[in-house]
Amino acid sequence: MKELSLFYGEKKIIDNISLDIPEKKITAIIGPSGCGKTSLLRCVNRLNDLIPDSRIEGQILFNGKDIYADDVDVVEIRRKIGMIFQKPNPFPKSIFDNVAFGLKINGIKDKSKISKIVEESLKDSGLWGEIKFQLNTSALELSGGQQQRLCIARTLAIEPEVILMDEPCSALDPTSMLRIEELMKELKEQYTIILVTHNMQQASRVSDFTGFLYLGRIIEFGNTNQIFTRPKEKLTEDYISGRFA
Amino acid sequence: MNTMREVFQEKLKELEKEVIEMGEMVIIAINRSIEALKSRDLDEAKNIINDDLLINKRRWDIEEECISLISTQQPVATDLRALITILNIITELERMGDHAEGIARVVIMYGDKPLIKPLIDIPRMAEKVTSMIKRSLDTLVNRDETTARKICDEDDEIDNLHEQVYRELITFMLEDPKKITGSTYLTWVSRHLERIADRVTNICERIIYLVTGVMEEIEVSKY
Repeated sequence: MKELSLFYGEKKIIDNISLDIPEKKITAIIGPSGCGKTSLLRCVNRLNDLIPDSRIEGQILFNGKDIYADDVDVVEIRRKIGMIFQKPNPFPKSIFDNVAFGLKINGIKDKSKISKIVEESLKDSGLWGEIKFQLNTSALELSGGQQQRLCIARTLAIEPEVILMDEPCSALDPTSMLRIEELMKELKEQYTIILVTHNMQQASRVSDFTGFLYLGRIIEFGNTNQIFTRPKEKLTEDYISGRFA
Repeated sequence: MNTMREVFQEKLKELEKEVIEMGEMVIIAINRSIEALKSRDLDEAKNIINDDLLINKRRWDIEEECISLISTQQPVATDLRALITILNIITELERMGDHAEGIARVVIMYGDKPLIKPLIDIPRMAEKVTSMIKRSLDTLVNRDETTARKICDEDDEIDNLHEQVYRELITFMLEDPKKITGSTYLTWVSRHLERIADRVTNICERIIYLVTGVMEEIEVSKY
């Protein structure tokens, strides 16, 4: 990100952020409610385009190219930069169709190829062993944790390079949360992950790098271990120590 | 109503107060052991050995409170370093208590035999190390890295005194083999005090870690 600012109307939500997101690592963005974490994440796959009156300044370079350049295919960007949301949002379809959905709308018609990718994606998301004999049951019958892993499988199926995760465990019980965290660690071997979370223990457990966002600005960015043991900025220290919310 | 973090900060302050109290218990134990040595008070030596259990208990109590705070409050950054520092300090203090107990045991071993010489440097060492303990614990409360470093430098004075005591006692042994046992006992006392000063240095290293976040080994002791 280069001198990135985001405006909703006249209001500046993200204020001149420059940040290098390391490849195939987990980068956590932490910060109090309303500081702009989700807005920042949504800049990365241009989801903010859908908000009327939103405007971007600066650049987000992905594989060397500004994703906000005029000739960029937004659909392709969102395919390469997938997103997992707070609440699992499976479609009211079968487990199989949920994962196959993205493939079909991307024009893949070969059924055996689709089946193969669905299986691989479900394996990569750690769900295959639990649901391999019930691929045709409704995704809505899965538990919350399973639904979130299904959403991750759905994202993986279209072969993204980056996965954005917006509070992916906030609606899950602790066991499901730990399962997703383990999955994140496995996924970072192949994907670059940006994680937005309120849960600082989660950020400290899973991420390699952490950025502290406050009032739309990155106050401090660094190695997660350093941020949580000896932050350089007092504001970071106060936030992670719970001295303000 | 207090916020969670205010509660945490209050508990941390209480813990620091308990560490200071534990330090006072250790200082008292050291002073009592030297007095017992001077006055050849065997009953007092036995009391010191028994009272060491109170120091040990205080250490476990503080440790338990630290564990409880870590598990319930998940502290990070300075708050976490403060608890880790406290956990290390109480270990050092508990061992210092063991050194005081060790001196008391020397008193018992010495029995009612007269001292081979009047005690001059050993009480001086005790006075110096107890002052170092007290001031090192003040640096915990004041988060005073500079003073912590200065206290580490004072370990040289204790080392020099220990060497002086050792050389003098060797002379006694060479001059009169009957004084070998008594001299050896006093060497042990001096060694206990020298080790206490080393442990003060360990406390100071922890204070530096608490303030800076950097673990630094300060090598000052010759022994």
